[in-house]
Amino acid sequence: MARSFRFYPKKRGNRRTGSGRLGRLGEALFFAVFLAVGCGVLVLMVTTLLVPQWRLNHDFVETTCKVLDKRIAEEDGEDGTLYRPELEVEYHVGGRTYRVWAYDIPASHSSGREAKRAVIDSFSIYTEENKKLYPCWYDPAEPGTVALVRGYSWLLVVVALPLVFILVGGGGLLYSLFHWGKSVEHRAATTRHTSQQRFPNIPDDSDITNSPGTTLDFRLPMATSPGWALFGALAVCLFWNGIVSVFVVIAVNSHLEGDPEWFLTFFIIPFVLVGLGLVVFFFRQLLITTGVGPTLVEISDHPLYPGKQYKLFLSQSGRLVVNSLEVSLLCEEEATYRQGTNTRTETKDVRRDEVFRREGFRVHSGLPFETECEFNIPADAMHSFKSDHNGINWKVVVKGDIASWPDYTRSFPVIIRPANARGNV
Amino acid sequence: MNGSAIIIQLDGNKPGGRQLDGGQLGRKARVYQPGEILSGQYTVDSASPSDIGAVETSVLWYSEGKGDEDLAVHEFWRKSTENGDFIDARRPERFSTTLPQSPLSYDGRIIKIRWCVRVRAFVGRKEIVAEEPFQLGNVPSQEEEVGEETS
Repeated sequence: MARSFRFYPKKRGNRRTGSGRLGRLGEALFFAVFLAVGCGVLVLMVTTLLVPQWRLNHDFVETTCKVLDKRIAEEDGEDGTLYRPELEVEYHVGGRTYRVWAYDIPASHSSGREAKRAVIDSFSIYTEENKKLYPCWYDPAEPGTVALVRGYSWLLVVVALPLVFILVGGGGLLYSLFHWGKSVEHRAATTRHTSQQRFPNIPDDSDITNSPGTTLDFRLPMATSPGWALFGALAVCLFWNGIVSVFVVIAVNSHLEGDPEWFLTFFIIPFVLVGLGLVVFFFRQLLITTGVGPTLVEISDHPLYPGKQYKLFLSQSGRLVVNSLEVSLLCEEEATYRQGTNTRTETKDVRRDEVFRREGFRVHSGLPFETECEFNIPADAMHSFKSDHNGINWKVVVKGDIASWPDYTRSFPVIIRPANARGNV
Repeated sequence: MNGSAIIIQLDGNKPGGRQLDGGQLGRKARVYQPGEILSGQYTVDSASPSDIGAVETSVLWYSEGKGDEDLAVHEFWRKSTENGDFIDARRPERFSTTLPQSPLSYDGRIIKIRWCVRVRAFVGRKEIVAEEPFQLGNVPSQEEEVGEETS
């Protein structure tokens, strides 16, 4: 009889045979809170920032005012005192005289006293000798509210912040509601239907076949170019040692000043050792990149099929005394999994077939070592495979053992399709 | 079981089907080739047939092993009383699909790819699920360990 599963199944890895209603409820609640916070903050910002400024620019009525006094208002902020320019103005509306302290709307304080000083200095106080009037805008619904500047404040950009919450929360909530009550199979069928693809979960080979070879049909791209590997090694080395060097300086200074920080000294030793290891790794990469010339691999056809024979062309440049040079066809499984908050990827080589091997020869500068050989894809080989967390990768691996030089390995991915798929292409 | 069970039968198999090696019955799963037609039927044996609100049938693969599970549905059918479908639990319901070119069933060192027919019935507020494994293709098990690397 077929296996039946309980509503709350026993945990077996991450198998998704249960419905996980509680999980989906939690997911929906999480996004709902996100959406609610975003909406709340947006309403607050619109009512306190956007609406007042929009009314100031559209509804307020222009008139003129006298500046009677000026000052810099202060307010305590989290990072110190905040300032705001304020002018005492007098204006008339409907036969009534208003005298208020004002400047902009909404009234906002910010750091930088000098900038506010410059603002109030640009206004002159109304006297018998200086009868200058300034334009101002008052609220027809509440004439006691007035501003001396119009336009929109840069502060309006913060209105975009709650929009992020609304987009994430709303999108997540819609996703949760759309999939509410749906089984894992129903959701998988909604998002991805493998029957629509000719070779589901087999990677596309267009990146591999877009480069023609000079000797054979296709030149294979390298998995990671030596230049990028060198750059990565340098970046990691500088980042790590840059941070560690700060603590090394502190520790060394403490010793020089006669007040040694012994705890710090012993604490940083393993970090320094890792840093030295990174330096060694960087110089090793540097030697490989600069000392070993380009490795070119070309292949007679692509994609590959189990049970078929193919030609391979290898070119190795440089000025090398080669102890051994080996080309192999490697099948590697790759699994990605979460461990706590970390995502780890584990690879395991499951098949390695030697294609070519030669020992004890020299490669001369300007005269690359070149060879052509044939190899078979095993008839029972699994095809290339790629899904979200799992993969089966095939690659041509060139491994060199160079005299007085670090060994190097260069990989060239290839795609293998199922044997019986050939007739369907 | 809560008084309910699902019986899946692939054509050519006995009712209930065969299980993968190491499964409950310890027998080999039926082998299909890509492009071949997989067909069969299922019955939902429920103490209260009128409570069956929906039945979903999927032909799918899922991964097992070290990595987090991946799952993809090749074919999916849903019958639901909400959509006006008539569900007669006592009558065998047939299904049929042409199997895809990939991925083939695979028994690797840290990755396994399993194919199955899975039937999920929504009975009242409960769900009962049964699956019938089968093998797609003839890729042999990877037994020999060559090397390993973790990042």
